[in-house]
Amino acid sequence: MLLPKFDFHEPTTLKEACQILAEYGTKARLIAGGTDLMVNMKKKILSPKQVVSISRIPELKKLDASGDIIRIGACFTVAELSSSDVIQKLLSSLGEGAKNLGTPLIRNLATIGGNLGSARPAADLPPSLMAYGAQVVLNSISGERKVSLDKFFLGPGFTALKPDEILTEIQIPAPQPRSGAGYINIGIRKGQDCNIVNVASFIELNHDGIIQNARIVMGCVGPTPFRAGSAEKVLIGQKPGSELFLRAGSAASSDSTPIDDLRGSAAYKKEMAGLLTRKTLDIAFHEATHRQ
Amino acid sequence: MKKLINLTINDRNYEVAVEPNQTLVDLLRYQLGLTGTKKGCEMGDCGSCTVIMDGKAVNSCLVLAIQANGRNILTIEGLETDQGLHPVQEAFVEKGAIQCGFCSSGMILSAKTLLDQNPAPSETEIRRALSGNLCRCTGYQKIIEAVKSVSTQK
Repeated sequence: MLLPKFDFHEPTTLKEACQILAEYGTKARLIAGGTDLMVNMKKKILSPKQVVSISRIPELKKLDASGDIIRIGACFTVAELSSSDVIQKLLSSLGEGAKNLGTPLIRNLATIGGNLGSARPAADLPPSLMAYGAQVVLNSISGERKVSLDKFFLGPGFTALKPDEILTEIQIPAPQPRSGAGYINIGIRKGQDCNIVNVASFIELNHDGIIQNARIVMGCVGPTPFRAGSAEKVLIGQKPGSELFLRAGSAASSDSTPIDDLRGSAAYKKEMAGLLTRKTLDIAFHEATHRQ
Repeated sequence: MKKLINLTINDRNYEVAVEPNQTLVDLLRYQLGLTGTKKGCEMGDCGSCTVIMDGKAVNSCLVLAIQANGRNILTIEGLETDQGLHPVQEAFVEKGAIQCGFCSSGMILSAKTLLDQNPAPSETEIRRALSGNLCRCTGYQKIIEAVKSVSTQK
């Protein structure tokens, strides 16, 4: 299976990478783990004339959880996410998504930035990151801008990234006391499958144990991962509990807009969106009551 | 245009000229003759092209040869030493975990990386670690038994 012909660039600084992208624009494609781009090039879906590796830019590989904002470099691998104690402690829901992505072989290559940039509607990392309120940092030769993940995904394979921009960092507000999150994905098998439905829930309780903040994000049930707005409305201002979570699940189910495909019927996915919302809220609530 | 890269494969240094669009598995098989690494799906699904790069098991069909510049690669050919086969290889032979043999290189390398990090894995951990390696003969049970027999948790 032949790859198209291309020139290969391997900048070692972000500035250099931005300059290359500024020069080639839409003729260039970034490669990090390669688990998405390589397959698309082999299938001849993409034939970039220039391939720009960002794997040798040290600043894109860091994880900094020392401040109020947790910063994860775009080239941090999924395997690193799934085995990081810091992620497990602070962003368990993201860690859960990482553990369920692809296979061990894929996780060793795939990066967090690539999982966002490829913008697959069934991707494992976006729901948790959106539930945590993450934003992405986009760099180009003309500077830097930040985009909330809520506004980043535009459609299957499409994002707010401009041709000359590089997604360099993911910024996540450090979880506050009495906050928690949960993630569940369902597929046919554990490894190497495409999710049928995946949901992440985040809740934050006030001193009186009332939900003051809630974000529910569903994947696979629309062209992009998206927030279940009416489910969030059901939750905010209420005391958490199984009856409330059941109602939030029904609301999330109504918010979902799945299609029939080979992985499952729309009706099944709608049902599962509700069920997973309820179950992830249980996980989130459990974590929130234990995080002081 | 070809570019010179340096890499270590099975403890031997190589300087090779590669095309930008050449994959690591093609470099190994066609340029260096290391045909123990197999090519199956070429899409990162089957795991038959598994190699260990800088200590991590990866699909070599998804890595450009040029990206392996400066890296340390271990292929199935590098597992045997003067003392003989690697214990995981021995176990695969002993337990009948090899049928057609096409998946064996990848299976063995994935199992080796698991055992290096976790010498006493549970069956679930073994199955999880091998979940990126497909066996078309469906000889999974023997493969799991072989890995279990090498683990320190008998």
